[in-house]
This record gives sequence, C-alpha cells and structure tokens, in this order.
Amino acid sequence: MDAVVPAIDRAPFEQFLIHEAALLDARRFRDWMMLFAEDGTYWVPAVPDQQSPLNQASLFYDDRELMKTRVDRLEHPRIHVQTPPSRTAHLVGNIVVEPSDANGEFAVGSTVIMVEYRDDTQRVFAGRQQHRLRRDGEGFRIVQKRVDLINCDGAFEAMAVPI
Amino acid sequence: MRNGHADQIARLIEPGRVHRSVYTDPDLFELELERIFSRAWLFVGHASQVPEPGDYITTELGRQPVIMCRHRDGSVQVLLNRCTHRGAKVVNERKGHASRLVCCYHGWAYDTDGRLVTVPVPEGCGEGFDKEAFGLARAPRVGEYRGFVFASLAAGGPSFEDHIGPMKGNIDDLVDRAPDGELALDAGMHRYVYNGNWKLQLENVLDSYHVPFGHASTVNKDGVQFARREGDSKGAAVIETKKKETAGSWRDRKSFIVGNGHGWTSNTTLDDGKRSSPAFDAYKRVLVDKVGAERANEILTPRLHNSLIYPNMSIMGLNIHVRVIKPIAVDRTEVTIYPIRLCGAPDAMNFGNIRLLNVTHSAASFVQTDDLESFVRAQKGLQSSLTDWVDISRGLGDEEPDRDLNATRGLATHEMVVRAQYKAWLGYMREAA
Repeated sequence: MDAVVPAIDRAPFEQFLIHEAALLDARRFRDWMMLFAEDGTYWVPAVPDQQSPLNQASLFYDDRELMKTRVDRLEHPRIHVQTPPSRTAHLVGNIVVEPSDANGEFAVGSTVIMVEYRDDTQRVFAGRQQHRLRRDGEGFRIVQKRVDLINCDGAFEAMAVPI
Repeated sequence: MRNGHADQIARLIEPGRVHRSVYTDPDLFELELERIFSRAWLFVGHASQVPEPGDYITTELGRQPVIMCRHRDGSVQVLLNRCTHRGAKVVNERKGHASRLVCCYHGWAYDTDGRLVTVPVPEGCGEGFDKEAFGLARAPRVGEYRGFVFASLAAGGPSFEDHIGPMKGNIDDLVDRAPDGELALDAGMHRYVYNGNWKLQLENVLDSYHVPFGHASTVNKDGVQFARREGDSKGAAVIETKKKETAGSWRDRKSFIVGNGHGWTSNTTLDDGKRSSPAFDAYKRVLVDKVGAERANEILTPRLHNSLIYPNMSIMGLNIHVRVIKPIAVDRTEVTIYPIRLCGAPDAMNFGNIRLLNVTHSAASFVQTDDLESFVRAQKGLQSSLTDWVDISRGLGDEEPDRDLNATRGLATHEMVVRAQYKAWLGYMREAA
C-alpha cells in the first residue's frame, strides 16, 4: 500500500496565481515585482527544455534588479512599443502543487494562456509555468517563476509585458 | 517596376533621398531577391554550429532554403535544401545530425556533400539515369573567414576577398576577444519578426541618431543608459539632461564606410579603464596569459559599436552578438540574433554576455523592441503617397577620408552609412541577373 500523503490544500496556491495574473492584467507591474522574493527570478526560456538560464539565450531572465529596470521602463512615458499599451487577459489552470521540499518551498505547476491585444492586433501566448513559492506570513513570495512557452524558439513580434 | 530597367531603378535613389517605393513596392522586393539575395555574398552560418561531420543547420538565403553541413572530409558545405526529384525540402529541422539527408517524399538519400546516394525502386529509373547528375544543388561559391561562412548563389561577381576583405578587421575585433582565438555560436538564438521592410533593420544597426529618442525608455534621469556589458557599472551617457539634448560624447561618435555597402560605428568610451567585475577580471587574466598584457589591452579597448556586412549580417561589439537579417516579404522581415561564446573565456564571462544580450536583444528586450516599433511605424508611414521621398541627407558632403583605416569617415549621427548602403543597393539592382 502506498504511503498516505496528506492532501495539500490547493486553494491558497490557486488564489495566489490568480492574484498574480490579475496584477499583470491590471498593468500593476511594480506590485507584481513585489511578489518576488529579494532573490527571486523570472525566467522565460528561448530553447525547449532549456536546462539553464546561464548558457543559453532566454526571452526573459530577470533578477530583482533587472526586473526593476524593466518595470521602470514599462512606466516610462516614452516606451514606444507600449504606445498604445498592451491589454492582456491571463488564464491560469491545470494547477498541480507538489509537497514542500526541505527548504519549505513549494513547486506549483500550471498552464497559462495570455491573450494580448495591442495596436489593432491580438495574439496568444501559451505554455506551462512553474512557480517556486516560499511561505511569507499568510502568503507567498516567488523564488522563481519559469514560463515554458510552446513556441519559445519561434520568431516573435516585439514583446513588452511579462507573461 | 517589374522589368527593373536600370534607368527606372536609378531614379529611385538620389544623393540625399530615397523613393518610398524602395520600401513598399512588392515588385521591387522580388527584384531584390533576384538581384541582391541570389547574387551577393550572404552570411550563412558559423562553422561552430556544425562542429562534427553530419552536423547541419538549415536556413534561407533570401527565399531559398539551404542546408549548411559538415562533410566527412571536414569541409563545410552549403547545399540547396530541395530534392532534385520532385522538389520537396529535404531537411526540415532547424539543426541536427545525420549521416544521410533523406527526402521525406520518395526516400531519395543524399550524402552530406550533396551527392545522391540512394534512389529507392531503382528499376523505375530510365536507361542512362545518372545519379551523379542529381546531387543537391550547391551554392556556386562559398567562403569562410575565422568560422564565418558566406555563400553566393551566383557563379560570377566580386570574389569573396573583394567583398569581405575590407571587413575582416571587424570580424577580427570580435574573434580576438576569445582567449582561444575562436568563437562558438552555440548558446541558442533570439528570433523576431516585424511588419516592415528588411532595409529598415539594416539602416538601423549603424544609426546612432535614433538612440536618445528611440530608446528614451532605456535612459535614466541622469541621461545614462543601463549597463550593457559585463563589468560596467553603468551604460553610455546618451542625453545631456541639463541642456536636454543628445550628450556630447554621443554626438562625437564616428561612422565609417569602406565600399560594398559595409560600414561600422565607433564605440562610446564607457569605462575609462574601470571596467571590472569578478567575471570580467577573471576573463582578462586568461586573455593576458594567452596574448600578453599589451595585446590584451588593445583587444579590450572598445573601438566598434556595430559593424554591418552588407547585405544580411551585422556584428555588435558592445553587448556582443551576430545578427542576421532575412527578407520575407516587402513588409515582413525576420531577424536572428546569436549570442557569442568566447572560446577559452571563463564560463562566468560568457554567461554574463548571454544574460545581458537577453536584456538588450531578445524579442522581449529593453532595446530591440523599441526599434521594432520604429520599423513597423516607418512601414505604415511610408504608405503615404503625398510625400514620396525618404530623407537620408544628414552630413551629405561632410564625409572625409580616414587614411589610417583606409575608410571614409563621418559622424555616427549623420546618414553617410545609409547612403553607402543605397549605393551598393543600386549597384546590384541596376544590373539584370
């Protein structure tokens, strides 16, 4: 008989991911950044099954410092690629929560679909995302968010907002 | 414009202006594919992308699908990716390894030098069918310099040396930074597309005029861009904020042309010798060990910002990369950007370069995205027929010879380099294939 693993209550994780998506859709990029731990990273590989963000190109690989530069730019009045700004709708589902590891961090997998509309053009981004989350009081901080887009090695028109 | 008579085409380019149809006319675009991309020396790939026999990459030269592969004898082959039987593209993957290149349709199999090896059901072949005559077509001319492989799809025309020769120093500038004296393009790639003409990207790589405006969102309140190089604490001064104008050091940048449409821009002094980080310092030590302190200092003194090897590639000297420009349609272009691994440099240095290139030139980067927006808007604006001419006259007549560099020099905020590109363009386009 398999060992009995106590069921993890998925609700707080699901709420967290929905909250994160809502911040992005509301263009509250600075608040979104604050969800990340001080040592947190945001990674969108450009190679399928990419093993490391260090030795291969990535679409995004931001630590908090880069994230701040990115958010400063997104708030800049003359960011041409956001004139007019993108509007997005994120949908997060198929959530799987792994039990916490030795560091007390949770691995949360989900499927994300983001539809973006800008300057008369609508396009779709989709893929599997992995959040590594650390408990922080009642909530969580993101240690790493990785988004593997199904077309990560495709040719993209300019992207400005995080997935 | 379909016939492309020389005098008609010549009327599109004037000393300081270009007719808008050069960017918008689909017939002219077809002529470009025929007269430029089926003829000129084009960058295909880098030898490091196919290190072992049987390794291949596929790409397009203009619209023509090609395979670049390593044959058993060590040679790099540039083959047309088109089965000689019924025309199907033979290799469909972007990269891979194979001892035989086998067509999916009827199983014709080719060796990695293009020779036809196997025809299934051979009794169906007619009397006298000669496999030797059915090898994959190969690029008539292939040239390589320090791993950079170029091909021309025409048997005649200027030699590889005539075309690439004047830009060899620019390739050296990058390759010499590798302690082992060679590069590897094995760190993935950034790919993007935009709804605009291919020449918009070409003109932009040597354009220092646009930076304070096009990239305003990357410049902080002190007028300084974010650091784009491992070991720099900050980037170049772009804007003099008190006077609200382009910074003096930026205005002093130079650009150079050497014929054939090629050119480059000089770098802005960034660091006054203060460039330092654990990764950079370790790299510098390795380089000094290999080439000596004096030569290492020369190599690490930035001279070049961007170099254009007309008509389809550029080399960035700041946040180092190789860029390839591929025309898809008159108003659609794909660009591929390869990070560079400096062979023999500590991993941390290479990782730093790769990481900063994500920031400047991925499809989601801080710099390139605003350029793409400018290209898209240019293509839209150029639909206007009430203003037929595009102005490229900045600095016209101010060019001067640079005898040390055997080049012609101008200011990088001028448009000498764009005029040089159109001179080369006209050279190809006036002449029927």
